[in-house]
Amino acid sequence: MQTQNLIETTNLTKQYGKVRCVNSLHMQVPQGAVYGFLGPNGAGKSTTLKMILGLARPTSGSITLFGTPMCDKNRIQLLSHTGSLIESPSYYGHLTGEENLHILQTLKGCPAEDIDKVLRIVRLEDARKKKVDHYSLGMKQRLGLASALLGFPRLLILDEPTNGLDPSGIQEMRELICTLPSEYGITVVVSSHLLSEIDQMADHVGIIRKGQLVFQDTLQVLHSHARQQIALRTGSLAQTLSLLRRNDIEVDKEEDYLLIPMTEDDRIADLCRQLCEHHIPLYRIEKREKSLEDIFLSLTGKETSL
Amino acid sequence: MYSSFTRAIKAEHLKLKRSPVWLAFFALPVISAFFGTNNYLMNQGILQSEWFSLWSQHSLFLCFFFMPALIGTFCSYLWRLEHLRTNWNSFLTTPVPLLCLYLGKLYQAVKIVILGNLWIFLLYFLCGKLCALTAPFPPQTLEWFLCGVLGGAVICSIQLALSMVIRSFAVPIGIGLLGGLAGMLLTNKGYGLLYPYSLYSIGMRANNPKMEIDLKLFAISSIFYMILLCILSVAGLRRHEQ
Repeated sequence: MQTQNLIETTNLTKQYGKVRCVNSLHMQVPQGAVYGFLGPNGAGKSTTLKMILGLARPTSGSITLFGTPMCDKNRIQLLSHTGSLIESPSYYGHLTGEENLHILQTLKGCPAEDIDKVLRIVRLEDARKKKVDHYSLGMKQRLGLASALLGFPRLLILDEPTNGLDPSGIQEMRELICTLPSEYGITVVVSSHLLSEIDQMADHVGIIRKGQLVFQDTLQVLHSHARQQIALRTGSLAQTLSLLRRNDIEVDKEEDYLLIPMTEDDRIADLCRQLCEHHIPLYRIEKREKSLEDIFLSLTGKETSL
Repeated sequence: MYSSFTRAIKAEHLKLKRSPVWLAFFALPVISAFFGTNNYLMNQGILQSEWFSLWSQHSLFLCFFFMPALIGTFCSYLWRLEHLRTNWNSFLTTPVPLLCLYLGKLYQAVKIVILGNLWIFLLYFLCGKLCALTAPFPPQTLEWFLCGVLGGAVICSIQLALSMVIRSFAVPIGIGLLGGLAGMLLTNKGYGLLYPYSLYSIGMRANNPKMEIDLKLFAISSIFYMILLCILSVAGLRRHEQ
């Protein structure tokens, strides 16, 4: 059965003056996923998310939410199934946390009991009567998440939700986000500039660099790029290559090295023996590891900040 | 649509909780009534039309200066709530039509004009009694009140449009103050009905010795400006980009 994409963008582009912040983006967020939207600061994450929510107008391209095009005509219907936390939490500081949620609950037209539920989920029950101006940064962030969760929408869009949280708050937020699809049937799009964060939360990843999507697939596929290899440097690369192929070993070439997939010690020992038998001198044999971080950097460019 | 409108009104009402901005609507008319009454008492020799004379003194500064600035302050506050932090994001991603979001704010502004006008007329009545006016309280005040609300609603529409696009709190209030001042000059020159800031003072019969206005033209002008400003404001909201 084909999974429906809750968000699909086609050639989505946003240009401010001569600067193209988002460039021909094809984003696909499957239903029930935690989609990690990863990219360095200024890559175009927030602009993309704003366009999806109708907060910014695309210069060109289209957006489909729940199979329906995002346009002025469908805006209200689509927003009624969407919760969001963009940039930083929105709140009225002179009001209490509960009163802030009451305002949004009224506007969203969802049941009043949802206020208690979301306060419980984000663990702000004890601070519900406190003015939000007196909240800590972490509490404001949790209130922002509670606001987004009101009405338990089908789609939740969170832009850097762990910003300003302490390590335990970050952990708590991650755990909460991971449970949303299974417990409430909510599809989550979460943006971050931190690979480690997305690695711990998401099952699907989109990596954006200078407004362009440079990778989009499951986290598993991204991990498969980050595999371990054995690098060999010998006196004759051509002879070694043919020997490896005779042994049905997959080989990649990288400068003076031949790269083969990580294998058992016995197999490596056998390979070394065969090289000796064929009088091929073995200069180097190394274990190479391409980390997820290396993959990310190679996709986003080392010059960009992480 | 009706449900969205009522939800928007309720939400705006909730936002105004614990906001002391309404105090200005209470305090400034008291100052205006005090000076107006004092003026009347000091000049009783030439001000001989009892209630009408007292009203001329009460309404002059109130309608041309105080009310436009007061309405401006309230409208600036209404939009300041959204200008702060990233509140525009939340405001514009609620599943409520933009027209209803705008009307929710307009409703609160007009409501404060109604309450302000009730207070102004109550002060007028009390000051008249304190001055021991013997003539009966003029029944025309109901018409002045209603026309004042309509003219005040026009100023609310302009100020809301200004405060929506201008992030500064004070600048729209300054424009309101200048607007009211220009309104006095244009009303004196006979162009008052064409100028939106004059409509409140015209409705309230401020600086109008005959106490008569062309009601039909007044209503047409007021409704025209309100519709025009509503269209412009909703278009502004639609184009609002963060």
